Amino acid sequence: MTRIETVICIGCPMGCEIKLTVGAKGEITKISGNRCKEGKSYAPQEYKNPVRILTATVKTANSSRPLLPVRSARPILKRLLLPSMPVLAGITVTAPVRVGDVVVPNLLDTGVDVIATGELLS
Amino acid sequence: MNLHEIDVAVIGSGPAGMAAAVRAKETGAKNVVILERAEELGGLLHQCVHNGFGLFYFHEDLTGPEYAHRFIEKTMDAGVRPMLETMALNISPDREITAVSNKNQFLKFRPESIVLAMGCRERSRGALNIPGTRPAGVFTAGTAQRFINVEGFLPGRQVVILGSGDIGMIMARRLTLEGARVEAVVEVLPYVGGLIRNEVQCLHDFDIPLFLKHTVTNIYGERRVEGVRVAEVDSRMNPIGGTERDIACDTLLLSVGLIPENELSLTAGVELDPVTGGPFVDGARQTTVPGIFAGGNVVHVHDLVDNVTWESEIAGESAARFAMGERIPAWAGIKLKAGRNIRYVVPHTISGNEDVTLYMRVREPEQNVRINVGDIAGKSELIVKPSSMLKIELTSEQLKKLGKNVTEVVIDCQKWGGK
Repeated sequence: MTRIETVICIGCPMGCEIKLTVGAKGEITKISGNRCKEGKSYAPQEYKNPVRILTATVKTANSSRPLLPVRSARPILKRLLLPSMPVLAGITVTAPVRVGDVVVPNLLDTGVDVIATGELLS
Repeated sequence: MNLHEIDVAVIGSGPAGMAAAVRAKETGAKNVVILERAEELGGLLHQCVHNGFGLFYFHEDLTGPEYAHRFIEKTMDAGVRPMLETMALNISPDREITAVSNKNQFLKFRPESIVLAMGCRERSRGALNIPGTRPAGVFTAGTAQRFINVEGFLPGRQVVILGSGDIGMIMARRLTLEGARVEAVVEVLPYVGGLIRNEVQCLHDFDIPLFLKHTVTNIYGERRVEGVRVAEVDSRMNPIGGTERDIACDTLLLSVGLIPENELSLTAGVELDPVTGGPFVDGARQTTVPGIFAGGNVVHVHDLVDNVTWESEIAGESAARFAMGERIPAWAGIKLKAGRNIRYVVPHTISGNEDVTLYMRVREPEQNVRINVGDIAGKSELIVKPSSMLKIELTSEQLKKLGKNVTEVVIDCQKWGGK
């Protein structure tokens, strides 16, 4: 018994609809519909363990800007997006902060850091 | 820098303005300034904290602030002079700029050339004529984005979003992450207005209901929004009686389209295309007024910043060449005409001698089509949608096939059976 699963690639604005042929034991036997090789690696990942970049903001001290934009340095499991938010809500950064500075190391034990995407000058 | 020795003045410092200014410098213009009404360079990129910027230009998946940061560094490194907290009020047809600023108060100067890079703004409730009361709690999606991502306020706790443009869907996700409940995204068309990747990662990921072929027909509430009435619409977009339902909410966000911001262009006598809402431009991105160029969302609303950057680099390069004495005949060349299922094509004219990239949008979604540029070039597409801008690159070799006396080329989107 095989079945067809569909995922939509979010790797770029094309939004390819990728078909996965999945065998009885959950093994993927065929991938089609992707227009590039990124899609070929994205589809099984999205089917088994979808991941996303988390983008958000954290509070600042001693700055005229109330917020600093941040993101996960790499994609994290999709199901960890919402649980990550209370962690970020507890963070206050102080200037100076440079783009790429680590704001939260090892977010929820994922091994992925949260980094600054904006600058705070002191 | 003496105000009377400015070669190129760029109005606006979003991705378009910064790209144009950097390229103008690189092309050889000596004194290049950017007039920016905000306190810093970068425009709306600062409030777009989500990723998806620069996939094509930098081959990296950056957030808005990171994309801004890269270009702010390029702008400063190139020696462009930013004039911050400076707002251009008027441009005369002979390119005299009138501006006010905190530091310099009232300014009048005449640069050799100008690049319009004012971007676009959102359509608001007034443009839609939604009936109902006038309570607090109705925002455009971009205003809510600024509140949440820059100012640090949550605009509401229970939200309905009208319109499935990219900003609306991105705000649905952002509000959900910040603890608000998004009751529904309501879209009058039978398909999503924004990119499909945003439907997946903003709506599907958080199980946010999407009502296609629906609209908001009433807003309730005295001091604050208390709810909205939603109804299905027929093929002519009229609400269907008996399909109404009320949704309780304290906030209504509008993501119902963007309008190029061209009040300043009009003061200079620049002619606007009623379809794009932006200036008519030639391949060099010169407007109908000699020496005034334009790039980015002020010309036509883009879905990708990368294309804004590329287009504005053309405008910046042309403005520098003009400032250095080269004359580009205004509004001359071969006219590009939007044919079957093509809403518009930018640029509006091309010289026919140089490589050129055409940007266009279709009117209706279609599958298995071929976009034909006269009979000299074509591109097959599996799916075309109004939300995804199409791009066709033409080489000067291909353009030679047009012959000498051609004055117009039609761009068509044709059904195509082949593979």
